[in-house]
Amino acid sequence: MNLYPDNLENLPVTDQIVARCRKGDARAFHDLYHAYSRAMYNICLRMTGHQADAEDVLQEAFVQVFKNLDNLASDSSLTAWVKRIVVNHCLSYLRKKKVYFEEVEDQEWKQEEGVDESEHTLTVAAVKDAIGQLPAGYRTVLNLYIFEDYSHREIAGLLGITESTVKTQYMRAKEKVRQIVKLKSKTI
Amino acid sequence: MNLEEFIRQNRSGFEEEGPRPDVWAALEKQLPKPKQERGKVVMMVAKHWWKAAILVALIVNAGLLLKYMNTRQEVAVVIPEIQEMESYYSARIEQKLEVLKQLPVSETGLDSLTMKELELRNDTYTMLEKELAANPGNERIRAAMIRYYQMKLELLEKILEEHDKYTNDSPSTKKDVL
Repeated sequence: MNLYPDNLENLPVTDQIVARCRKGDARAFHDLYHAYSRAMYNICLRMTGHQADAEDVLQEAFVQVFKNLDNLASDSSLTAWVKRIVVNHCLSYLRKKKVYFEEVEDQEWKQEEGVDESEHTLTVAAVKDAIGQLPAGYRTVLNLYIFEDYSHREIAGLLGITESTVKTQYMRAKEKVRQIVKLKSKTI
Repeated sequence: MNLEEFIRQNRSGFEEEGPRPDVWAALEKQLPKPKQERGKVVMMVAKHWWKAAILVALIVNAGLLLKYMNTRQEVAVVIPEIQEMESYYSARIEQKLEVLKQLPVSETGLDSLTMKELELRNDTYTMLEKELAANPGNERIRAAMIRYYQMKLELLEKILEEHDKYTNDSPSTKKDVL
């Protein structure tokens, strides 16, 4: 998981911090929040596409994190657990916004072969902009797969759709990104 | 280079700064209360509720003893071997008190006031002793004294029994005492 390893190393969330949080230590909640807030905020921002909404979702998610720390099994990863809560809150937000993750009938999916986007001069700004223009459903699948490192199977579980639908939507999302970047590079 | 590779190689470029400080400010107001302490109080009450009744019981008992001595003219209680009974109860009470004193306050939940009340020679005892000295051979006072011993012993036994139940100590301690 690419969750800002530097940030987490600078402020490691130890078992001790979790134990202190469980006792209601305000300082420990502060440390826990600041260890994860940037990475988790970025997830929210990618998923919602709006700064204010991302902050609202982040806040709601952390309220749940703080409340449910007792339920965290001792052998499970705190980072993965926090991330799952944040992602679930993002998905609830999207569902409230009437974003549906529906099955697609045309489920032909094949591994792309030798597609080279370099011909379109990929830049961070262009790709970010293109992802931002994707329909919310495609964007969600693409974000969860590329940025949040969930597998197609995990994404299928999160969205309540089949794995093959996830794969199809992911391929279509990538194709759209490619088209948008290409179009933009031509117009420049 | 495909899209996934490009994003992974330029990952930091896709990351924004963290949220505004407002988020933490709002969260801070919703932090769970320090439940350890709240839980501790609830636990203490649940665990030691009956101990609070001790003081009441002892005080009521003292009152009842006084009433008993003042109102009952005919004494039906005739206790043989008074001295022997007294030393028997005193020894057992002292023994229980000794065990109780060795237990940490955090486990027993008994404050100094309650402990003072539990002492063998407390105010009630002193009062009875005075009455007895003033009226030697008065059966009513002697009976009240015995009642006092019995009640104190029962309370101490109850305290130690409850303590064993909650701390899951091996019953051997209790058996040694008994």
